[in-house]
Amino acid sequence: MIVESRELKLKNRIPVTRIAKYWEGLKEGKVFKTVCKCGMSYYPPKADCVCGNQTEWVEIVGEGIVESFTVVHSIPACFEWGGVYRIVIAKFEDVRVMGWSEEDVKIGERVSILTKKDASGIWKVWFEKR
Amino acid sequence: MRVGVVGVGCSKFGVRDVTLQEIAFEAVIEALKDANLSQEEIDLSVVGCVGTRSYELMPTVVINEYCGFSGKGPLGVEAACATGSAAVYTAYSSIKSGISDISIVIGVEKMTEVDTAVSAAIGGRAGNYLWEHHFYGTTFPAYYAMHATAHMARFGTTEKQMALVAVKAHRNAAKNPKAHFQKEITVEEVLSSKVIAYPLKLYDCSPISDGASAAVLASEKAVKDYGLDAVWFESIGFSSDTSNMTMRENFFSLRATRIAAEMAYKGAKISDPLRSFDFATVHDCFTIAEIIAYEDLGFCKKGKGGEFIEKGESDFGGKIPVNTFGGLKARGHPLAATGVAMVYEIVKQLREEAGKLQVDLKHYRALTHNIGGTGHFSWVFIFGR
Ligand SMILES: [Zn+2]
Repeated sequence: MIVESRELKLKNRIPVTRIAKYWEGLKEGKVFKTVCKCGMSYYPPKADCVCGNQTEWVEIVGEGIVESFTVVHSIPACFEWGGVYRIVIAKFEDVRVMGWSEEDVKIGERVSILTKKDASGIWKVWFEKR
Repeated sequence: MRVGVVGVGCSKFGVRDVTLQEIAFEAVIEALKDANLSQEEIDLSVVGCVGTRSYELMPTVVINEYCGFSGKGPLGVEAACATGSAAVYTAYSSIKSGISDISIVIGVEKMTEVDTAVSAAIGGRAGNYLWEHHFYGTTFPAYYAMHATAHMARFGTTEKQMALVAVKAHRNAAKNPKAHFQKEITVEEVLSSKVIAYPLKLYDCSPISDGASAAVLASEKAVKDYGLDAVWFESIGFSSDTSNMTMRENFFSLRATRIAAEMAYKGAKISDPLRSFDFATVHDCFTIAEIIAYEDLGFCKKGKGGEFIEKGESDFGGKIPVNTFGGLKARGHPLAATGVAMVYEIVKQLREEAGKLQVDLKHYRALTHNIGGTGHFSWVFIFGR
């Protein structure tokens, strides 16, 4: 015998004020990492370096090398607005970046980084073959 | 002062029509009877439960009350899929430090109260929600799939080699009445099953299971005073890694496992694992995870994990039988229950109570390897008798 629980809707308001430049950048076609005077680079970006200093913003540009990918066929509940999708991780100098790609990219291939809205209306990182 | 495991219990894993606390009690009562102790003799209870898919959102005290341990703690522990091992370590530490003499560890998970797509959306948050799942819809299979494609590209590992891990797991689980899956499968069935996250297919993935495991731990003094039968902790290793997958050093090895293994091997003075252990339980939430584990635990050279399974080295009669009770892959992987179920398997085997699945014992020593997330946490325990 089954009893249904009362419904709980869970949606968080995520404070990204200190790293707002990242979201602003996405809308302008730019992907930013943060760097610190001490030599550390961060992607995903963070406002605080572990050394205690505040970080600075640097745009990720140029050519990335694909290090891994998958194509998701069993789609999680909050992504049911689209079909199957390809997640790719590519290395750009000292950082690795996660993004989506519409092309059948392979490990070792060169890609460019760009930003675009997905079908749910969220700006994010995409990769294209160079 | 040594610490030993003096009683173990494990529920039937699978889709179970019982609550979190009821399934926990199945394991608890078996473990207490196995140790020939009652709730009264327990000083401390440690409850491991990830709890993200069951209806009690703060389940520690609910489980503790139902099992008869009110007033005995409880300590609640969470470390994703490594919760069971973190809970075992918590109970171990309490005894080792002299705070308690006898403690119980309960690892329990109900995963089937929500539907599969919701479960995938929760599991996909087992990394860094904002930077991964939020933007890119990572799922738990997707995380390991990205390790599989990297391992395939780097070392030529094949989908067929991965399928062999599943075939072995199902073959062992079919002889374990407590396992989720009770039937053998073929390589062809694995390869033709539906794609979950390329290159992982349905049969490369552990199922969504309910289950519980429990272990009673005691100090050497309590073992003597109560006349208990112990399997002893010989060494423990642990480590962790970044929440963001993009911040890892590579995607074909898990650094946390390599460090945890090094720490545990050093503690037990082990230089060659293949000549030191009779068998091992490793974290095979996906078939590729077992192949990577062979390498990171030093059972074979980096990149040779595919060959290791192909040659039958991890099967009964091989160099080191791995996951004799069916592994996470076929016994099931109710998150927090897994690490404690590994201890259950070790104790049953080292006491020669494993029935049709009994391995031949020479060293009377074995290891457990339990990962949380995608190498976010890693634990290695070495036990001896
Ligand atoms: Zn710094």
